Amino acid sequence: MTAVDFRCDVLVIGSGAGGAPTAALLAEAGLDVIVAEEGPWVDQGSVVPFSLEQMERQYRSGGVTVALGLPSVAYTEGRCAGGGTEVNSGLYRRPPAEVIDRWRTKWRIDDLEPDDIDVLAREVEAELSVQTLPGPPSAPSERLRLGAERLGWRHDESPRWMTYPTKDARAGQRQSMTRTYLPRSTNAGARILTQCRVDRLELRGDRVESAAVTFDDGRRATIGCRAAIVCAGAIQSPALLQRSGIRRNIGNTLAVHPTVKLAARFGEELNVPDDVPVHQVKEFAPDLSFGGSASHPGLVALALLDQWDDFGNSVTAWREIAVYYAAITSEGRGRVISVPGLRDPIVTYHLTRRDRALLRAGLSRLALLLLEAGATDVFPSYRGAPRIRSTRDLAKIEQTFSANKASVMTVHLCSTVPMGEDRDRCGADSHGRIHGFRNLFVNDASLLPDAPGVNPQGSVMAVALRNARHFLAEEWTRV
Amino acid sequence: MKAPSPVVVGPTCEAILRSDLPLLPDERRTIVIEFVGRRLLDLPMHMRYGVALIAIVVDGVRRSMGDDRVIALSRRPLPLIGEYFRLIRSLSFAYVWETWPDTQPDGGIA
Repeated sequence: MTAVDFRCDVLVIGSGAGGAPTAALLAEAGLDVIVAEEGPWVDQGSVVPFSLEQMERQYRSGGVTVALGLPSVAYTEGRCAGGGTEVNSGLYRRPPAEVIDRWRTKWRIDDLEPDDIDVLAREVEAELSVQTLPGPPSAPSERLRLGAERLGWRHDESPRWMTYPTKDARAGQRQSMTRTYLPRSTNAGARILTQCRVDRLELRGDRVESAAVTFDDGRRATIGCRAAIVCAGAIQSPALLQRSGIRRNIGNTLAVHPTVKLAARFGEELNVPDDVPVHQVKEFAPDLSFGGSASHPGLVALALLDQWDDFGNSVTAWREIAVYYAAITSEGRGRVISVPGLRDPIVTYHLTRRDRALLRAGLSRLALLLLEAGATDVFPSYRGAPRIRSTRDLAKIEQTFSANKASVMTVHLCSTVPMGEDRDRCGADSHGRIHGFRNLFVNDASLLPDAPGVNPQGSVMAVALRNARHFLAEEWTRV
Repeated sequence: MKAPSPVVVGPTCEAILRSDLPLLPDERRTIVIEFVGRRLLDLPMHMRYGVALIAIVVDGVRRSMGDDRVIALSRRPLPLIGEYFRLIRSLSFAYVWETWPDTQPDGGIA
């Protein structure tokens, strides 16, 4: 294959919630920007949301990726232009002020003020048309709200990055990166190279000189740059840095929101296969929160699978069933380990005793909520789970649940290159520059020092804007 | 050992489907097995190695002791091997009900 070479001012690696805003701001400031994206460009609307086809086309490894441990934690990563913003539910949460405060003090992050982040969050919200539903919520979402209401539990509707041409929530159009920051980037002259994997960064002393890349068709190339900003997500960013020989405080502190699920059957048809509920229950936040999951019939079957002999008969009633989750703020941590010769990193995660107890409590309380909401049957997703028909059955969850028997999963991955001035713990400085390097940066979920207890992409985008502006003001002339 | 070969995984997947979803029509079962094989080829490399190793062991058990023994094994909560069976079942069931949503719990057509 013929080698192709590129040159640019700044190479942005990854085009998701971190990379796309970064590329847009840098290109609009007049820099020559190349965005290298490993996955393909897939137009919004060209695949059914949450379908197996979407997993095949837009997720890494078809959505089958696992953090090893006891239990293993299944996770997913977007692998397409726009990254996770293209495939997730689009639910948005502003970064909580107390979380920003905690990050600043505990991790010694300079210039991280809640008020400043709030301003950036509002900028993101305007760009992505973040808003609540224009009409009534879907029936599964309404059930969640109703159950919380009856129990007197705190709950609210999470806004989404959507536009709604009509009052019908299902007609909403996701304002993901391919509709917002990526077009802004290209309009300002940025070049987006899709299906282009960065194999490693070529380093000389304290500088990155170029990146060695391979396209899906086998072509290899080198991209020379004056600075590189790695925005490949909390798994791939540390993996790339490790492949390039940078390992200090990289990939050792993976944080996630582990979740367990259950399916709830109601006495009426309510399943909405291609959408997710927007209500979330925050009574026990930040330790524990409840929400709704995608519930197409394949996912209902999956939710029933761990106890198929008892629960399987209900799969024919999938139109009356919706899937819900309990998510925790975990004390556990994981690792991302790049092994020479292996294309993909090994990922591990360890749940603490407190995490396991929270998952049990979460599943039990979620079941209670759904009974209050009118569920006739609740099917927790773990081996040996009882069918829950009344509050009397809830004690059985306490007796039989073990995290090791459950299908634990997550979609929120953070903290593998934590930012801050404490060089003993942090992989990057307060604005994402890798410690010990002059022109190498990270700007994605990897920088968040821990999992924020809410959907993290709002935090990721606000921090990305902050760091990109700092790069333009303070770093660019020095690199 | 590049990947869990469909030749190795296929018979185990077929045995599980015949047991769990006995009325799933033959042509659908074939499609599901092909799908599972494709998906396993997409696994991250270290998972592919692990799955391939377990698949070879399980297929050896199946050849020497029969499908029933493999099915019994698949229902026990064993570390690693249990995860292999769970992976096959998860992919299979998700595909069956997404593709043919009105499939009966025994795999039969409504």
